Amino acid sequence: MAVTIEKTFRVGEPADKVWAILSDPKKVALCVPGAQITEQVDDKTYKGAIKVKVGPSVTDFKGEVQVVRLDEHAHEIEILGKGQDVRGKGSASMKMTGKLRNVDGGTEVVSTSELNVVGILAQMGARVITEVSNIMFEQFVNNFKKQLQSPEEMNAEAAKPISGVGLAFSALKASFSRHDDKSDSSAESDSGKK
Amino acid sequence: MAKKELIHVKINGKDREAPAEPRLLLVHFIREQLGFTGTHVGCDTSNCGACTVILNGRSVKSCTVFAVQADGGEIMTVEGLPSNGALHPLQEGFKEEHGLQCGFCTPGMLMSSYALLQKNPTPSEEEIRWGISGNLCRCTGYQNIVKAVQYASKKMAQGGK
Amino acid sequence: MAAEKTSPGLVEVEKTSPEVSGMGHRMKRKEDSRFLQGRGNYVDDVNLPHMVYGQMVRSPYAHARIKSINTEAAKKLPGVLAIITGEDLAKANLAWMPTLFFDKQMVLATGKVLFQAQEVAFVVAEDRYIAADAAELVEVEYEELPVLVDPYKATDPASPILREDREEKSNHIFHWEVGDKAATDKAFADAAVKSKVHAISQRCHPAPLETCGCVADYNKATERFTIYLTSQAPHAHRTLFALVAGLPEQNIRVVSPDIGGGFGNKVPIYPGYVCAVVASLTLGVPVKWIETRSENLQSTGFARDYHMTAELAADKDGKIKAMRVKTLADHGAFNAAAQPTKFPAGLFSVCTGSYDYPAAFCEVDGVYTNKAPGGIAYRCSFRITEAAYLIERAVDVLALDLKMDPAELRRKNFIQPEKFPYATPLGWTYDSGNYEGALNKALEMVGYKELRKEQEEKRKKGELMGIGISSFTEAVGAGPAHAFDIAGIKMFDSAEIRIHPTGKAICRMGTKSQGQGHETTYAQIVAQELGIPAKDVIIEEGDTDTAPYGLGTYASRSTPTSGAATAMAARKIRDKARKIAAFLLEASEEDLIWEPGKFSVKGAPGKAKTIQEIAFAAYTNIPPGLEAGLEAINYYDPPNLTFPFGTYISVVDIDKGTGEVKVRKFVAVDDCGNVINPMIVEGQIHGGLTEGLAIAFMQEIGYDENGNVSGGTFMDYLVPTAVETPHWDTGLTCTPSPHHPFGAKGVGESPNVGSPAAFVNSVVDALSHLGVKHIDMPITPWKVWNILKDKGLTG
Repeated sequence: MAVTIEKTFRVGEPADKVWAILSDPKKVALCVPGAQITEQVDDKTYKGAIKVKVGPSVTDFKGEVQVVRLDEHAHEIEILGKGQDVRGKGSASMKMTGKLRNVDGGTEVVSTSELNVVGILAQMGARVITEVSNIMFEQFVNNFKKQLQSPEEMNAEAAKPISGVGLAFSALKASFSRHDDKSDSSAESDSGKK
Repeated sequence: MAKKELIHVKINGKDREAPAEPRLLLVHFIREQLGFTGTHVGCDTSNCGACTVILNGRSVKSCTVFAVQADGGEIMTVEGLPSNGALHPLQEGFKEEHGLQCGFCTPGMLMSSYALLQKNPTPSEEEIRWGISGNLCRCTGYQNIVKAVQYASKKMAQGGK
Repeated sequence: MAAEKTSPGLVEVEKTSPEVSGMGHRMKRKEDSRFLQGRGNYVDDVNLPHMVYGQMVRSPYAHARIKSINTEAAKKLPGVLAIITGEDLAKANLAWMPTLFFDKQMVLATGKVLFQAQEVAFVVAEDRYIAADAAELVEVEYEELPVLVDPYKATDPASPILREDREEKSNHIFHWEVGDKAATDKAFADAAVKSKVHAISQRCHPAPLETCGCVADYNKATERFTIYLTSQAPHAHRTLFALVAGLPEQNIRVVSPDIGGGFGNKVPIYPGYVCAVVASLTLGVPVKWIETRSENLQSTGFARDYHMTAELAADKDGKIKAMRVKTLADHGAFNAAAQPTKFPAGLFSVCTGSYDYPAAFCEVDGVYTNKAPGGIAYRCSFRITEAAYLIERAVDVLALDLKMDPAELRRKNFIQPEKFPYATPLGWTYDSGNYEGALNKALEMVGYKELRKEQEEKRKKGELMGIGISSFTEAVGAGPAHAFDIAGIKMFDSAEIRIHPTGKAICRMGTKSQGQGHETTYAQIVAQELGIPAKDVIIEEGDTDTAPYGLGTYASRSTPTSGAATAMAARKIRDKARKIAAFLLEASEEDLIWEPGKFSVKGAPGKAKTIQEIAFAAYTNIPPGLEAGLEAINYYDPPNLTFPFGTYISVVDIDKGTGEVKVRKFVAVDDCGNVINPMIVEGQIHGGLTEGLAIAFMQEIGYDENGNVSGGTFMDYLVPTAVETPHWDTGLTCTPSPHHPFGAKGVGESPNVGSPAAFVNSVVDALSHLGVKHIDMPITPWKVWNILKDKGLTG
């Protein structure tokens, strides 16, 4: 099941400061709920894990993250991630590109992800996958902003996985409503495409 | 496995108690702990309604209620349809109008119809169809079920309870 | 609703009194009592002492190698009794089992998995919750393999070969052809008009409300194995268990108690059954396995998945000259088709339909894909729905090409009544038919002429309304021994009747009702033949220890086979009763006249003996030379299939804003020959039409490019509720089958066979003036809305 998700968000910090975090998978992983980098294999490849809960369904993905392209000058990064559920419930792969743009008052981050899910989670359909991704992304953005402001605190612990029940309810609610929530003042736009 | 609690219910007029772990579904409690197998399980997403029972006066899908939530409550299943020795007008209606074939959806269908007629004793055909829309049937195409409910409605209006 | 006799004289059935309640009476059902009071006995209601529960662990991948299975954590959970894997089964040679169609399928995966939700391990625990917990703890390591879900790509060299176990390394299973290719090609070459349609009968699922399951009970002390099973064919299953599991057949007892709907889903043997049997043998206690709805939809017998192209050759006046058909059959990972052995594409070759023309050619190719195995016959004779859908769509497309009214085109081409028995160009001999009679009645019931006028008016205003006709013929009642067997067992069926001293009776048949009302209808046959009131006749089915051998209930075969056997057994009893009556009345057998319930002496009507008196005498005053008792058994080998038919007409209105199709009116005229119980026939029609509605508008078991299944739960696989289901107007005509003992044909499946084409034809008809010629099922509002958007019509 392939899902494409485009997200854009703004922060008040200058591009260089944002790039310092975005170009480092270890730092990015700290912001993704439920994720951790466990090992660095070489300068481009990392081993990692992410725990995703949807309702009572828990999937522990273990896999690899590879930095395919890193353009310091244009502030663009492309990452490939692949993981399999440790209990054999499925797998997922993701190709993500991140781009920074200078704007008035700070930096705009544009990201495009192509996500492919195989297995039990995929049966829940693109609707649920998109909504779960939306919620994870919201948390990611919040964590990312926190890291920008106080990096020392974030290093201490990895971001906790999102609550299973809460996530399921939010996903269900969101997929039923014509949803346009802008939960904070910074301009966030997205287009979830199938 | 979490510790089991003793659940007390009044089911079909009788006081009963049986142990249940917190996540035990009411439908399993009714079927296995209490021994009333008339209520059935037909799906795992709360769509089919085969598990419909009356809990504290309202129809519920017992696959989506935990046994512990029914503690201290009153349950009616198909085995407890009030009858005065004979068949309840709904049961009579289903037989007279051929409102069942394999019988698997029938207990749930009867309980939903019972709840409907409690709330609305003289429903129109459209109201009946909406009233049983939470109960799936693969055999009858619903046409004769509608007639069965109309039969019961008429009989109950005439005083046959 | 009295049936109009359209072919009088063919097999007359005289109606008995209401007290006797033989054929034709709207007798209320005897089985209703227990269902209405919640006292049905379905497999999940079976509770035996020391019973434990089984739960499957299933593959999330459509195609993957199994690198390891780790059951340590699961085994440690308190209450877990055993975990069986494919490796364990392989030691007993049970990791694979034969399918019903010359293939084998994995019971539990060994080496690799071939479809999402495939069975990988079986956990047995003290209660079902612990079993579910344990199943979650089983760790399976997979290596994903490339997935094949497009049947058209199955024979591409670039596609992965799925079945490493087969000698021939190919995804192509079989090629089957029938008919006269040369004559057909010539007819097409000479034809003035040629029309073509590519129609997909999409993968769907019967989804009976009760899922599949069993309680396997091996009793170490008696060495007898009792299996309570959701089975439409208990005897066949018993024999297969004996052959496959090596258990002595006399020690196996299969009991199919009450079954909550079958529709073909409960014909195959599923891995869950085999695992439960193995677990019970190993543990020595009863093992219950009941699948969840998700498991049912994702792994058990699917239906259809036929990708068909039909061409019709005709002259410019619309007389059909020939038909050419090419079909691709997607069987999933294993060919688990439930089909008689000589027919890899079932009875698909009845696709020539209700029409009279000399030439046809049909070819079918079956392929493997990474999907659940099958396909079974979902409320139809094997592949009949696919065939009927195809021809009725093809005829409508021809009507469009010729700019002819679809009713008139059909009428022009119908096989005429005097041509029966009619040999079709693909080898079937239809027994009897009066297609125009059914068509006329349906046209009248629906008010066809007025509807066409209304449509013309509505089109001027830009409103969308359609009328669709389906005049189907189906072939049921499999089947004659010379052509029909399932896994080698010939498709006869049986009835055993025993009359008690007080004139009551018990009868057992080799079929198995899953809601068709056999306890009532078979009793009505006995009542008709012997004059014993139907309420005095007990009918039993489903226990292989007591019922005579039969092939079960599916393909509308019960009335044509066991129904016939019941009549034949009853007539044997009547023959003996005549002898007893002659003895009691001191008359010669030739001087006795029979009327339902008694023999009387010719010319002396006062001198008579009732069947009850005769029965009593059979035990108390036995004529010399005769054995005591009054009973008979018959194994019936039908001389032919029977061919019920009908015309269905669907009237729809389309909402331009949403694409939603509303069925405004639906008329169903069926002809199943002589009818046993009209009330039950109506109920069957209502139910089958509702299933057809679902298939036409709502249902599909789909797979994405990774083999993830959509439509795997009732949230996505939609079953119509009372709100979506329209009112069904039914009618009957009566053209008895000349070869059946009481002229009956069977009808349970006609509505599922004939209705999808009527629905689709009506939607296409609503849009044909815009250039639409075909829409594939399911016709969802999204599909229709996109067509309207394309045509610039969305409101």
